[in-house]
Amino acid sequence: MRGWDEGKEDRKESLRRTLEALSQSRSDLSRSWRIYRRSLLAVMGLVMVMCVGTISYLADEIAVEHPYRNLQDDEWLWSIDYEPQRKEPFSEECDWHEQSITTNPNSPLFSETVVAESDNKVGDDGRYFKDTLSVVRLINLEDDKGYDLDITLISVDPNNSSILILSPELYGNTSLPGGKVWVLYEFDNEDMHVSWMPEGYQRCIFGTNHQGQDMFSKVLYGSRVSLQIGITVALLTVIIGTIVGSVSGYFGGRVDEIIMRICDVFFAIPGLILAMAVVSAIPEMTSLTMPIWLGVLFPILFLTVVFREYLTSTIAGDQIFDQVMSPLMRYRNVFLGIFCIFFFFVLWPDLFDISDSRDWRIATGIGVILILGMLALADKRFIEKANFDGAGDRLGNSLDWTNPWRYLTLRTVAIFVAAVALYEFSGSDGGEIVVIKDFDRLWKIQAALIVTGWPGYARLIRGQVLYVKEMTFVEAARSVGAPSGRIMFRHILPNAWAPLLVAFTLDIGGAILSASGLSFIGLGAKSGTAEWGILVSESRQWFPDDAFLMLFPGLAIAVTVLGFNLLGDGIRDVVDPKNRR
Amino acid sequence: MKLHEFVVRRLLLLIPVMIGVAILTFTISHLIPADAAAARCGDRCGLTVGYTEDGEPISAYQFNREQMGMDEPVTTQFRIYFEDLAVGDWGESSTYHRPVADVIKDAAPITLEMTFFALLIAYPLGITLGILSAVRQDRMFDHVSRFFAIAFVSLPIFWFAMVLQLLFAIGAPESGPGGYCEIVLGIEGGCFPIFGRHDPSLTYPEDGFASYFPAGGTGFHLIDSWFVTDQKLATLPADYGSNWLLFKDTLLHLALPSACLGIASSGALLRYMRASLLEVLHEDYVRTARAKGVSEFRVVVVHACRNALIPIVTILGFSIGGALSGAVLTETIFAFNGMGRVAVKSIQYIDLPVIMGVTIITAVIFLLSNLVVDIMYAIVDPRVRLE
Repeated sequence: MRGWDEGKEDRKESLRRTLEALSQSRSDLSRSWRIYRRSLLAVMGLVMVMCVGTISYLADEIAVEHPYRNLQDDEWLWSIDYEPQRKEPFSEECDWHEQSITTNPNSPLFSETVVAESDNKVGDDGRYFKDTLSVVRLINLEDDKGYDLDITLISVDPNNSSILILSPELYGNTSLPGGKVWVLYEFDNEDMHVSWMPEGYQRCIFGTNHQGQDMFSKVLYGSRVSLQIGITVALLTVIIGTIVGSVSGYFGGRVDEIIMRICDVFFAIPGLILAMAVVSAIPEMTSLTMPIWLGVLFPILFLTVVFREYLTSTIAGDQIFDQVMSPLMRYRNVFLGIFCIFFFFVLWPDLFDISDSRDWRIATGIGVILILGMLALADKRFIEKANFDGAGDRLGNSLDWTNPWRYLTLRTVAIFVAAVALYEFSGSDGGEIVVIKDFDRLWKIQAALIVTGWPGYARLIRGQVLYVKEMTFVEAARSVGAPSGRIMFRHILPNAWAPLLVAFTLDIGGAILSASGLSFIGLGAKSGTAEWGILVSESRQWFPDDAFLMLFPGLAIAVTVLGFNLLGDGIRDVVDPKNRR
Repeated sequence: MKLHEFVVRRLLLLIPVMIGVAILTFTISHLIPADAAAARCGDRCGLTVGYTEDGEPISAYQFNREQMGMDEPVTTQFRIYFEDLAVGDWGESSTYHRPVADVIKDAAPITLEMTFFALLIAYPLGITLGILSAVRQDRMFDHVSRFFAIAFVSLPIFWFAMVLQLLFAIGAPESGPGGYCEIVLGIEGGCFPIFGRHDPSLTYPEDGFASYFPAGGTGFHLIDSWFVTDQKLATLPADYGSNWLLFKDTLLHLALPSACLGIASSGALLRYMRASLLEVLHEDYVRTARAKGVSEFRVVVVHACRNALIPIVTILGFSIGGALSGAVLTETIFAFNGMGRVAVKSIQYIDLPVIMGVTIITAVIFLLSNLVVDIMYAIVDPRVRLE
């Protein structure tokens, strides 16, 4: 066993290679871009994806209606708006409002001056309220039966544009049916005062829906939902598929056989139908919680990341990492402090509140102390400084410090042992941490798409792994005794990522498409949500008379998916070995 | 390996997959949070339906649980489930109040008919465009057709179906888009019916839903329409009073949904055909043919295409799967009571037996069509059998 100092030369060499690889990858990137640029379609795709991304990011700025509501769950439906319902795109009538005015002087509701008010809206606290509107001009006056009256019977207060004044002829006229009239006026729609619109231009670009909500804003906000679904689903399917596929391809034999048969079963059922069945099987869930042991594990994993960075910096020396030292590393003491405060003041008392069981408490205490102790013990500096009658030395010498990964493995194992112990002791007496409150309904679609999507990746990666596995460098790695996990994920996978990247990009589009399809048939988002599939589905009620309602959300899906597909196609051209010149 | 050996081997390979599908559906049906026994008796679960030997009352709910074997161990339940599946007893639907097998027997032909026509549209379209695009590689036509290939794949089918309805199935509107047929071709009310499987006048007025088509027929109305008896035809409205007119009506109603599905799946075909043909065009024998002075048309169509088409056969399996998935959405839009619509409805009402039945049947259809595709592939390319 060699000591820490003996590995110095090796580490220097490894650093030099890392830097070389870095500059190589930089030139690779610019060459890739040159290949990518050749295809007009690919560039178009990139632009489309970037546009959709920007729009979803800036939706708050661009949209004319600012819902300030959680768009994905049904608890906070969009308010009922006062804009006219189902108006065509670019209609002038988007800022018109019709209001009924009581003209019967005997009615308790009667007054000579009437405040111009919106219809009832639902506030964020669930209560109804009305907005006061500022009238720009009066357009029309009708009696209750729909006959036109003289518009001059009513006038706007010159001092306050939101007060309508009734003339004596109007309320003196007892022959009016129903004792009320309807006044139509144009109001100053404050919601539409957004910076990017021309001054005084108050038109709903995509029209309004059956609740008077601005479709343009809804479509804009829909991009957030769709992008989130697409990326989440694609990312998780890639991760699961990659792990399963690499294991299957690398180990081969019976493992491979079993995994591939399972994939066959998933392939045997057409995607959307399987996803539908899976959606129906997933229980309703309002918030995402995780068991307490997982909640303890995460901060610890974070700590290991900090330590790992620290380790890297000690290996590489100070010459480079001083300049590019990540903030995580630079402020590691601050992070550690925050973590400790959080742990001892927030988590710790909670831990003891969870269970009254005395054994459990003791076990948790011991477990946590063990973990922290192991972390400290495994820290090289600590070992060097502490001198337990030579025990530190012995422990230090027993570890091969030239191989940082082995060093890390020890710690990882310690953490997992501790986590498992914690889990065992915590039992299932309901200790849970709420991660995301008010989970949206869309997670069911996402879960279903992940469950149905991973076999595709598994098969793809398996093929790649089978191909790369036979190469000489894998043989070399195996001959020096590298463990399977390391060969799989550090030698084979980096050489098999190209088709994975293409599939990933295409899958984002595919996931958006499937998710909107599931929403459309009523399995995903609830009606009223700003999600493209549900917007098209709602518009069917007024189809084909108000076709614009379905046109824009559908077009938005098409453009987004097309963008990702073109992007994926472009990347395929780049990673295609035929184009590498 | 002889061809029949190959077929037998492939058939045997189907068995574990089918068992896997059964396990999967069984798992899903056990994960479903809704209580199937409660769904069966609805608001009458509390009613007493009998007494045990000890004189304890048995509620309808308990009776259902017992009858459905829900208190048995899971392994026993699976064995019963699997045996029932194997003998064709798929349980009874709680929304249709009919055996699941009957529901699916009525629905499957509708979906199959639509899928068949969709592929009939997709293949010629995709292959022709793919050939043209490969021949004019990197020219304007190629770029445009490749763009459309990707665009067709990217279109949300449900939206595309509605756009088709808008363009071809409705009359000219006063404003806004749509009504292409009436505006350009002058056909009043659009070229195609907007939805449904038949003209509404083809239903019996008294019961409202039964059609004139014989109940014991194949279910494929394109075939059934030729077997409607003269007696029945005489009672039909004049516009549909012959076998041919019935056939034409069915065909017209099928046109839009099939076109929608077909165009959506033609995109992938175009790309595969293009790639496959491009590969073949670089082969030596094509160069030989060119060197001999064979005309370019003959080189492409006779020499190259025949070989380029071989891998396209394998895409057929995928296309069928895609079309079956897409049918869920098109059937919802065009109001076809096919398997997709049955699936959607059963999921909305948590009708477990139907959900599982539809899933299994689509799997069977998909697997069998893949088997046929594999056999076809083995016939056109005997090398496959040697593996």
